[in-house]
Amino acid sequence: MTGLWAAPDAPEVLREGPSREALRALLLAMADDELMLGHRHSEWTGFAPDIESDVALSSIAQDEIGHARILYEQVAALDGTVPDTLAFDRTPSEFRNAILTEQENGDWAYTIVRAWLYDHADAVRLAALAASPLGSFAALAKTLQREEKYHLLFGNAWFTRLAGAGGESRARLQVALDTAWADAAALFEPTPGIERLVDDGLLHRGPAGQAALWAATVGPRLGALGLEVQVDQAVLAAAGGRAGWHTPALTQLLDEMTSVWRTDPRARW
Amino acid sequence: MNLGEITPGARHVFAVFRQETKNDAHVHVGDVHAPDAEMALVLAKEQFARRDPCVNLWVVRYCDIDATRYEDADMLEPATDKSYRFGGSYREQQRVYRRR
Repeated sequence: MTGLWAAPDAPEVLREGPSREALRALLLAMADDELMLGHRHSEWTGFAPDIESDVALSSIAQDEIGHARILYEQVAALDGTVPDTLAFDRTPSEFRNAILTEQENGDWAYTIVRAWLYDHADAVRLAALAASPLGSFAALAKTLQREEKYHLLFGNAWFTRLAGAGGESRARLQVALDTAWADAAALFEPTPGIERLVDDGLLHRGPAGQAALWAATVGPRLGALGLEVQVDQAVLAAAGGRAGWHTPALTQLLDEMTSVWRTDPRARW
Repeated sequence: MNLGEITPGARHVFAVFRQETKNDAHVHVGDVHAPDAEMALVLAKEQFARRDPCVNLWVVRYCDIDATRYEDADMLEPATDKSYRFGGSYREQQRVYRRR
């Protein structure tokens, strides 16, 4: 398979050992997040509230799945696996996505709230990677940031309108926020060895710092819209996804997503 | 819906203009439904800028567009031969028209 992104440079620190393993774990978690959320977004194709948003969210789904592919290629380059196998041939407990990204779509309010919380978290995470001295990974992060900028615009536009509309719209948004918040904070559950990357200077900001920056970004925006959430309790609240613990929603998602692939795992697409 | 008609529907339909490069004029490429201009721009990006080159988008509410009436279209047709106005033999004109 032709890579979408140039092979990573391999400085001494990445040739072997704990930093290499820690970077692989981080990239795998990011890839799994993007793949699951991309798949969930794609389930709205044909069903979104208006045709324009249907097209826009479908495009965002394609973006996220494209990002997953780029990240899987980097994981594969580090551990000798195959991107398609990583995406389609693992059991649920082998995935490292945060539980937030596997949850079913629910209503449009939940979809928007999840996308909004996730994209703000992803922005913080990508910024930490974009500031890495590992040149190719920093460049990769900057490439992904270009599309993520639009995802934030789309999410912000919908989020503020649902919040400002009052009535049922706002009530549903608050319910969705209550449902999604703890799962969203768990996006920053540490991946194995991530502190090592920070200590080695390979990652600009660790999980706790990222979580704090994220809370400091979304918290005031929620406040400005008069929405309530328990910011202080939630940071790094629930753990699980990064250790392979998942909900039945992931099993359902994987069954659906891999159904074509499983008809002939050796086929070349 | 007609251009310039102020109806509740017209307030929520925006004409989208796409500019391919900074040296090109904005060209009307289609419409989006949106509650306001900001949302119209967000939605227009994926409807009209995901395939073709684009450096800039405009959105304009249909009810903000003033237009001539189709009943008056005859006044736009010359009554006598005005081909002397075309200027087709000027090199600059040829360059401009060839691009279309």
